[in-house]
Amino acid sequence: MKKNFIYVLSCFLLIVVACGEDDSSEQAPSDNFDRGALLVNWADNIIMPGYDNLAITLTTLEVATQGFIDAPTSVSLEEVRSSWLASYLAFQRVSMFELGRAETLNYRNRLNVYPTNTSEIEGYISSNSWNLELPSTIDSQGFPAIDYLLYGLGTDQELLDKYTIGANASSYKMYLLDLVTTMQTLTNEVSSDWANGFRQTYVANTSSSASGAVDQTVNVFLYYYEKALRAGKVGIPAGVFSGTPLPQNVESLHNEFVSKQLLLEALSATVSFFNGEGFSSDFPGNGFGLNTYLDTLNSVKDGSDLSVLINNQFVVAFDKIDLLDDSFVSQISNDNLKMLGAYDELQRNVILMKVDMLQALSIDVDYIDADGD
Amino acid sequence: MKKLVLLPIFIASLFVSCSSDDDQGIIVDPEEPVVAPADYTFTRNNESTVKFGGQTTRIFMAEEIISALKGIDTETQSSIQSMFDHLEGADDFSTPELNASSKSVRSKTAASTDYFSANASEASEIKTMFDNYITNQTSEVFPNSEVLAAPGVAGQIADGSSTRYVSANGLEYNQAFAKGLIGAFVTDQILNNYLSPSVLDGGDNVSNNDSDILDGDNQYTTMEHKWDEGYGYLFGGVPSITVDGQTVNQPNPLSTIGDDDSFLNKYVGKVAGSTSFPTIAQDIFDAFKLGRAAIVAKNYQIRDEQALILKQKISEVIAIRAIYYLQGGKTAVEANDFGGAFHDLSEGYGFLTSLRFTRDTQTGTSIFTKSDVDGYLNDIMSDGPNGLWNVTPQTLDAISEDIASRFDFTVAQVTE
Repeated sequence: MKKNFIYVLSCFLLIVVACGEDDSSEQAPSDNFDRGALLVNWADNIIMPGYDNLAITLTTLEVATQGFIDAPTSVSLEEVRSSWLASYLAFQRVSMFELGRAETLNYRNRLNVYPTNTSEIEGYISSNSWNLELPSTIDSQGFPAIDYLLYGLGTDQELLDKYTIGANASSYKMYLLDLVTTMQTLTNEVSSDWANGFRQTYVANTSSSASGAVDQTVNVFLYYYEKALRAGKVGIPAGVFSGTPLPQNVESLHNEFVSKQLLLEALSATVSFFNGEGFSSDFPGNGFGLNTYLDTLNSVKDGSDLSVLINNQFVVAFDKIDLLDDSFVSQISNDNLKMLGAYDELQRNVILMKVDMLQALSIDVDYIDADGD
Repeated sequence: MKKLVLLPIFIASLFVSCSSDDDQGIIVDPEEPVVAPADYTFTRNNESTVKFGGQTTRIFMAEEIISALKGIDTETQSSIQSMFDHLEGADDFSTPELNASSKSVRSKTAASTDYFSANASEASEIKTMFDNYITNQTSEVFPNSEVLAAPGVAGQIADGSSTRYVSANGLEYNQAFAKGLIGAFVTDQILNNYLSPSVLDGGDNVSNNDSDILDGDNQYTTMEHKWDEGYGYLFGGVPSITVDGQTVNQPNPLSTIGDDDSFLNKYVGKVAGSTSFPTIAQDIFDAFKLGRAAIVAKNYQIRDEQALILKQKISEVIAIRAIYYLQGGKTAVEANDFGGAFHDLSEGYGFLTSLRFTRDTQTGTSIFTKSDVDGYLNDIMSDGPNGLWNVTPQTLDAISEDIASRFDFTVAQVTE
């Protein structure tokens, strides 16, 4: 109600201003910020290079997986493990952009639903039959499923035995390879959609309405930050929503010692996006981001620049996360209060961005919490 | 002209009601004041007179049935149909209490006195609709559970991170069943049975209530009990509490409204949580309380006024949710999100069938005729050869507007 009131009020003020300044204009722009330049920086310097970078790491992963399948040894295992981690980190830089083809593909869910369903995976492997296109298999594919197949099958020797002398050895190999090539296919689909037309539509869609590209991107960004990063990586395993901690729900459960690294990369990607910092610092629009947009509008809260408040809060969150164990499983089991402390600091930026920033930018939230049924 | 003549009378009546309505907010009747208690507590001889165990049983049975409709690997047509038809002693449910019960959900589906006692043909048709949902779910959807849904092909489809299982025309039968029961079972029993004068005043109920003649060994009169059974269809899922070692009904069930079942309680809670209808749960609870107090006070005029409030408000809840899901489905259709659209539209489909059991407070008949509802269901499925795969935003808007036109609210108020 309050928001509606403010919205109505600001529309009214706009009309008054528009009438006073330019009687002929039918629809006054709500601000003078160059949304087109913002979209170009996002598309050309952040999003598309992000997918390209992920695609490169996935090619390395595919080659390593092929090598491991041809000759499963402790050496080839380490190769595929390290390229899995490199891809997983690269994925953290694009996970938030559920736009265009990524949205219709359910891209984030295809690549990163966890905890992975180990019994379903074992069922597929022992029956030597699966269909990764089925929505019901999203919890048996992507990075978490590979995590299980590379780290969750016992000691390294036990794991290698599964791929060499085990009864289902060939099925394990095929499943692992199918997981990797499916991620490649999906990533290439998204990437080529951007390259073949979507980028043009996107940067031209400068409208300040709910269907405008800025509004939509900010919405998917906030949805990601709230649901996938804050809740998925920290809140849910720390038990914020269940009352009891759920350490089995951390990202990268089977190689639990990288759960913190993945969170740090995701948060760093979040901060970069907020500040418009892309892959190339030479890019003409590099640094042109939501921070700039807020500064242009002179957005101030309690006497401070909103962009500064948000960035300061990111620093506080980083500091809290730095205190955590590399493994969130042990952090949650040994001292969950620190995990909850990190969650609280991440949550503060949900408020600053979802309430204060959106109000300043006149963007409406287009997602609601699911019905629950 | 007629209205103008009536106006002074109307104004005069306002003054009368003002002068007799004192500042306590208590409604005063010329004969006897009726005061609603703070919560739903009514006693006689120091014992609670409120009992609705039969409603609680049926709600719990219905919960297990809608859950069984999703049991792809565990259930069959006959196992689910047996639950719906339940016979005393049959091993249909998860608890011995439910299995031992002589009650069933199907026997109270399209079974109200006012709407169906002399309309056996439509009652049978509606019961068969629910039977068919069970048959179709197990014969069309279960066998295709590992198939990707496509126009004309039953199977699974993604709705965000959830997986939905739909028919060849995009309908989730389990949702149509669950949301359909909110009307055909819960609402029909409340509005058209227990709150109906024909039931409340049936037999010797009035003279017995007037003379405090109790119902057998119970502490309640039959009229009191009928009212409570209506109340129990909304609040029967609320967990009991223990007071002084005795198990009694939660006297203030509003604090958990929305959380106590998957049927009317859930959706009264949802509507009350929306921007435009914040008082509806309180209004409904207050009417149940005051109407019950009026029965105790033997003031049947106030009782019937409260029954009319309930008939209006509960009908609104059904209509609001029907519009809500059609509009949610429309947004998803526009975004080409078929999985999300089918889920919303399947819930909406169920609520559309539930409209049949609403009640016009003037005429005492449904706000929506059978042909109204059949028309909506036909429209939503007929924009193309594959049902919901082809439904257009225009069709969803047209149905939404037509529903809203029969109430005091707009489609925009439902979605804001």
